[in-house]
Amino acid sequence: MSEPAPWVDKYRPKRTSEIIGNQEAVQQFVSWLKNWKPGTKPVFLYGPPGVGKTLTVEVAAKELGYELIELNASDVRTEEAIRRALGPASQYGSLFGFKGRLIFLDEVDGITGREDRGGLAAILELIKEARMPIALAANDPWDPKLRPLREACTMIRFNKLRSTQIVSLLRRICQAEGIKADERALKIIAELSEGDVRSAINDLQAVAQGRKVLTPEDVQWLRARNRQYGAFDVLKMLFMARTAREAKEAINSSLVDYETLLQWIHENLPLQYEDPEELAKAYDALSKADVYLGRAKKTQRWELLRYFFDLMSAGVALARRGKYHFVKYQFPKKILLMAQTKKAKELREEAARLIAAKCHVSRRVAKTDIIPYLSIMLSTPMGKGIAKWLELSDDMVKVLVHKG
Amino acid sequence: MSSEEQPELWVEKYRPRVLDEIVNQRETVERLKQFVKTKNIPHLLFVGPPGTGKTTAALCLVYELYGENWRQYVLELNASDERGIQTIRERVKDYARTVSMGEVPFKVIILDECDAMTADAQWSLRRIMEMFWRTTRFTLIANYGSKIIEPIQSRCAIFRFSPLSKDDVMGRVRYIAEKEGVKVTDDGMEAIWNVSGGDLRRAINTLQAAAAFGGVVDEKTVYRVVGKATPKEVREMVEKALEGKFLEARDMLYRLIMEYGLSGPDIVRQVHTEIFNLKIPEDAKAELANIVGEIDHRLVDGANDDIQLSALLAQLVRFGRALKRG
Repeated sequence: MSEPAPWVDKYRPKRTSEIIGNQEAVQQFVSWLKNWKPGTKPVFLYGPPGVGKTLTVEVAAKELGYELIELNASDVRTEEAIRRALGPASQYGSLFGFKGRLIFLDEVDGITGREDRGGLAAILELIKEARMPIALAANDPWDPKLRPLREACTMIRFNKLRSTQIVSLLRRICQAEGIKADERALKIIAELSEGDVRSAINDLQAVAQGRKVLTPEDVQWLRARNRQYGAFDVLKMLFMARTAREAKEAINSSLVDYETLLQWIHENLPLQYEDPEELAKAYDALSKADVYLGRAKKTQRWELLRYFFDLMSAGVALARRGKYHFVKYQFPKKILLMAQTKKAKELREEAARLIAAKCHVSRRVAKTDIIPYLSIMLSTPMGKGIAKWLELSDDMVKVLVHKG
Repeated sequence: MSSEEQPELWVEKYRPRVLDEIVNQRETVERLKQFVKTKNIPHLLFVGPPGTGKTTAALCLVYELYGENWRQYVLELNASDERGIQTIRERVKDYARTVSMGEVPFKVIILDECDAMTADAQWSLRRIMEMFWRTTRFTLIANYGSKIIEPIQSRCAIFRFSPLSKDDVMGRVRYIAEKEGVKVTDDGMEAIWNVSGGDLRRAINTLQAAAAFGGVVDEKTVYRVVGKATPKEVREMVEKALEGKFLEARDMLYRLIMEYGLSGPDIVRQVHTEIFNLKIPEDAKAELANIVGEIDHRLVDGANDDIQLSALLAQLVRFGRALKRG
């Protein structure tokens, strides 16, 4: 009885009383909106993603009969755009049976960039002029540029949800979906989510939709969402990890995809591990990880990736014998080289194709058994005629001619 | 004809055109000649080490069957070049659709390096062979017969190409040298045999590359060719790793892969060859072979050759340090 709708929407609370977690913050917001009168400070909701900030605003607005005017990061937030969208709304009351309008500016921490020129100033002005309630929200309100906003608003803090709160929600969803879920599986999802309800529900749907039973094994490969980091941070967390769990969490938090991350680890292993024992051990783990990756790809048995992740994370991190030391991590050279040598590689491939056709061999044999000798001949007087006979271009000859 | 008029690779220039010119493989040649006489051949499977004349025999056979215009009747495919059995099937289908108009009522498909095909692909190949049997005969070529599935083996006349003897290889090399007016010293000849490993193609390539330097081909020029032809990076890479210079060794590895276009298995096999040239205790060599072999094995399943080979280099670094400590 699973529907295609995202479960996040399907199981979205209809009333503020149904919102789980952050009860105090939700109450604070509801009473602010209830008691709002001209001159009341706007509110600024802040906290990590997926804990119910937007949800609270939307549900409370509906509950109290407000028309919600929403702007978020996807809108262009120049001063002009904000004025165009909100100007009239903030000046005049609503006509369609709403008690009033609630203006909601989501993700204001994204406005500090260059493209949002004047956006902050416009918001500040809006706040001062507005004759209606305004709510702001952000993950990180502590950017110095946001200080004027913080001072102009009442701050409402939303915290990460506790794992037990998330588990009970997940349990309810599973019951509604007719899934027999192992408590441990739900716990893993909840813990991976690190207090982010939205990602927990999404993860649950990803692993559980269409199943009758959900076991801890089914959720192993889940990667935590939202708390994602760039390669540099992930590497640091990985190499600092002291337990298998910490190492896996580091990998899970990666913003870069796992194959790119594999290259990053590969590149930086020898920088981090100077001791031959550590290096050999870590590389052995990485090599085994790569084997699982290859098997998963070849057989399309993606569940094998769990071993890939284990070896790439715990296997690599726990090779460390001494203390972690700071290393300036490098961008994967292979990725750089691949771009640089692409042209030469193409020329070689094309030459190998021509040779293969002329000499009745495969391109592989052309590369291993003929080109090595050919490249010697090409640098001698004999070379010109052979190149002509093989129909090699000048560029190909240049690439093939023996260096030194 | 002299090399000035028709410069080309000697391996091609002196490739036998007719079965009788083939070096050694008497039995095989005799039986193939019978097929030519009756203008009828079954599916064939040629098995044997590299450079023993399998492809040449297949080409001679079709040349004798169809004459000068043999290319109209023959499709040459290489299993390791085609992208999967699907493309092979498509190409065979297209090719087999038209009926042969000549004296011989079928066409021939030469499929080289069949042992590179997966078992699944071979099962599909078996069906293809069956489907087009009336119009098309296959000549399959492989290094290892054991890698060809039973049902294919049972549908083919199997010919085993034995390794060439020293006399065979040197006789052919001497013949070509004479024709090309290249003087080869005795020690030069000996050296060519030594580096060829019984592979006639490699022997002829070595001869030609040595001759390209100009002058007499002697032991020194032959080893000069070998030194240049086997990318010396492989040996340097191994030495650097054993000295503990991992980063330098890995940079060389990247060059081998990206500039020389070598595959992981190519490199790992060259590393294996280098083990026995290294100045390390004899009992350490078998141990090293084991390390190299393990990585060779992992390359089969692995996704990234450079990661597997880097893991090998890291092992070499550790190994090198253990050696130093004694």
